[in-house]
Amino acid sequence: MATVIGQDITIEGEITSDEAVVVAGTVRGKLNVDGPVTIEAGGVVEADVGASTLSVGGTVTGNVVASERVDLLAGGRLVGDVKAARLTIADGAVFKGNVDMDV
Amino acid sequence: MSRDFASTKSNTRTSLPSTTESNVLGRGLRVRGRLSGGSDLRIEGEIEGDVNVGGALELASTASVTGNVIAKSVDIGGALTGDVQSDGAVVIRTGARVTGDMNGAEVALEEGAVFTGRIEADFELPDGLGGESAVGGRGKRAGASRGR
Repeated sequence: MATVIGQDITIEGEITSDEAVVVAGTVRGKLNVDGPVTIEAGGVVEADVGASTLSVGGTVTGNVVASERVDLLAGGRLVGDVKAARLTIADGAVFKGNVDMDV
Repeated sequence: MSRDFASTKSNTRTSLPSTTESNVLGRGLRVRGRLSGGSDLRIEGEIEGDVNVGGALELASTASVTGNVIAKSVDIGGALTGDVQSDGAVVIRTGARVTGDMNGAEVALEEGAVFTGRIEADFELPDGLGGESAVGGRGKRAGASRGR
């Protein structure tokens, strides 16, 4: 079963995973996943994030590196630099930072 | 009549998964740090650090936790190195490998579990039972089998 960090769960420290991770709770530190990461609305990540794909519906504060793509959804909030080949920012999303599409 | 009973029973069973969304830390996950939460949590991966949850904590057979654990109840099927503090039941399942002190209202150790440490169970003795040890209404039992 893949990982679900639920609404009232807080993890402070370094997280690594080779499976999908869904964050609806709070993560502080580092998040390194060899797979897709989904940050749901209400989820708070104060960490540098590495993932294959990252989908942000919640709040991320930290730098993001994705090997495939980053999707910032409506209502999502991302403060930090993004390094990814593909990036979408939906209408209604909040973003502050630099983008590096590695061209 | 017995049919009614059977249907009630199956109803209680289906309603068992409690919270809206269950918290799972999957098999491929590694955490180095502190983990806290208010509800139930199932750990299948590797945790280096303290775990503090308000609900039931389940360590699957693939889980490996190094750190102290506080939870309402604890069900251990994997490896744990650290002390456990629980208001409710602590169950150490067959195949579990546990090193540490267990502190709970009740502690169960299944056959086939590997355990090194101390078991402490606080319990209230019923009135009129236990004689001297019931002074203050509280008994304490410690079974030490520390292998180090």
